[in-house]
Amino acid sequence: MSTAANTKYLLICSVFSIAACAAHSPEIVPASSPEALRVTATTAADTAPKEDLRMVPPEAYMRTYLTLFGGLVPVEAQKRARGGDGAALFDTWDDYVSALGFPDYRLDVPRQTQTNALMVAAFERLGVALCDRTLEHDLKSKKPVPMNQRLVFAFDIPRAPASLDQKAFTPKFDLMHRTFLGYPAQLAPPDREARFFKLYSETVADHAKDDPKSRFSPEEEGWATVCYAFVRHPEFHLY
Amino acid sequence: MPTRRTFLKMLSGGLVTAMTGLPRWAMADVATAQQSEFFIFIIALGGWDVTLWADPRNEMKGIVHPASTANTDTSQLKKWVDAPLAEGEKSFQLVRPKNSNLVFGPGIGELADMPDRITVVNGLAMNTVAHPDGQVFSATGRHPQGGRVAASSIDTVLSNEFGREQLLPTVSIRFPSAYVGDNLDRRVVPLAIDDVGAIARTVSRAVQYDASPERDRVTAMLSEEARDLAKRSTFPDVLEGMALQYDALRKMLTNNLQEVFSTQGLQKAHPEFNYKSRFAGGPAVNAAFAVEAMKRNLVRCVSFAVGGFDTHANNYRFQAQTQQELFELVAATIKSLDGVSHPTKQGSKLSDHTHILVVSDFCRTPQINLGMGRDHYPNNSALVVSPKFKTNFVYGKTDVDQLLPAPVRKFTDGERAIAPPDLLATFVSAFGVDPRKYMRDGENVTELLKS
Repeated sequence: MSTAANTKYLLICSVFSIAACAAHSPEIVPASSPEALRVTATTAADTAPKEDLRMVPPEAYMRTYLTLFGGLVPVEAQKRARGGDGAALFDTWDDYVSALGFPDYRLDVPRQTQTNALMVAAFERLGVALCDRTLEHDLKSKKPVPMNQRLVFAFDIPRAPASLDQKAFTPKFDLMHRTFLGYPAQLAPPDREARFFKLYSETVADHAKDDPKSRFSPEEEGWATVCYAFVRHPEFHLY
Repeated sequence: MPTRRTFLKMLSGGLVTAMTGLPRWAMADVATAQQSEFFIFIIALGGWDVTLWADPRNEMKGIVHPASTANTDTSQLKKWVDAPLAEGEKSFQLVRPKNSNLVFGPGIGELADMPDRITVVNGLAMNTVAHPDGQVFSATGRHPQGGRVAASSIDTVLSNEFGREQLLPTVSIRFPSAYVGDNLDRRVVPLAIDDVGAIARTVSRAVQYDASPERDRVTAMLSEEARDLAKRSTFPDVLEGMALQYDALRKMLTNNLQEVFSTQGLQKAHPEFNYKSRFAGGPAVNAAFAVEAMKRNLVRCVSFAVGGFDTHANNYRFQAQTQQELFELVAATIKSLDGVSHPTKQGSKLSDHTHILVVSDFCRTPQINLGMGRDHYPNNSALVVSPKFKTNFVYGKTDVDQLLPAPVRKFTDGERAIAPPDLLATFVSAFGVDPRKYMRDGENVTELLKS
């Protein structure tokens, strides 16, 4: 056969093949049955905890602290916590690293794996600085901060004296519970909300007497103490 | 009929009794009687050269090359008196305190004038030349296992026995303190800091926003929360411990510690310490803190480190001076404690109930290396200042040629040199504590204790 005849033969074969494919309808794979898989055996999952609670490593605590402060780098967070107002709410990170349990490889000091009373004191010092500065940012800025840009206090506090009503307290408490502890307050031990409400209401009631020169109103201080309690809560530091 | 387990328990009880000389039932009563004792633990970080103080060598013998004017800066050394060694090189004359059989090297400084207050242990077998291992072994009596500390340190042990109720059971300033094992109260977790000023800074509080009663209310509530969570927890220990720590914080903040324990406050209150000394000026603040905190009955143990002993090279020139400053800090601490009344025992001096133990990672090689320094060596010495120990007394020895620990007596595992676990076991036994409660190894060396 000549080359031209060969080409003609191949062309005819190709045309027939394409035509045959086009004529065949696409294959449809039927969906599988929605029925559950057949149970062949059951095993009880053991969800009981197998070891004691541990302290969150200081690095993780520090990262959380920085995130709650609005995702700042450590030096910026330090600057914001110190402020320029002589409040002495915070010093420098260097002043607290050892008390917080950070390792110091220059001196062969290992990472602390257990809380101690001084560490608890450092948590209070840091927590108070975080909450006070964040409350100032969220609720006391000259220009009101939109709700979606608030860091912790994503609610408004009425200017009039608070009515100390637990119904009004609950949703705000739940919001902060989710922010700091990561789950809804409804799932917490039943006494927790009452305990926090007692703390809040006692602070609001006594703030004028306890701290007459405070920069916070009683309601603001009430929510600040709720924040202090969350940021220092055992569930915040242990896992 | 007693089971095998009961028999073994009885046997171990008998062994402890034999080793400590006290029946087990008597130990609890003895322990309660020790609640007024205080403890200071010091570690000379880096490994000290024992030939310059506790186990002095001033002659070329075997592999021993003594400190000499060729490798040591003698200008600041109070007890260095030249002695002939070799051509153009002079070693030191041995320091022999009056009315004492003790012999020291010039590194001992003015502590040599107090032989009736001190006990020296030589020839401690370290079995290590690695810093972290040596530090942990000296403080706990166990070598670390895979980098993990395997036992509680001596300060934690004694706080657990006598310091649970103290506001600050153990303050640990760069000391290798460890909290490991069962039978420990969470309140005695060492308060680890890198300088005393950290206490003042940590407990200082601003007043522009909130007041003490408000913060205290939060802490009280958190203590309740922790106890509540503990009741619901499968493993309540950590949460119960945290509740105790919240309670301790409340006490801490009502004691105005920030005013007392600032560096400046301590320096002002205790001018007897030399804060300007070159190597021990910083640690002098720790010693002042120890005296002040004990005077106020706030602590049970203070442990701290003095650095600068790791002299592999030309810095060996200052090894003797670093030692002199360390031991003079100990001497100043003894004098300071002598001048303070015991906070709870009327008519007693604080020094009558304060016990000091000074250790190091290990010692340094007997030969001088090419860099004119000394490297790590698996021998060690320790210093004890305690009314419970025989004073003006040295125990343990090393061989003349190689400075290695020599057998000193028969232990239950045969004749051997004394080792850190034995010293620590003896230290805790001196207060009626059963060492087996906390330590796997170590035997009570009764020869070290006053009868």
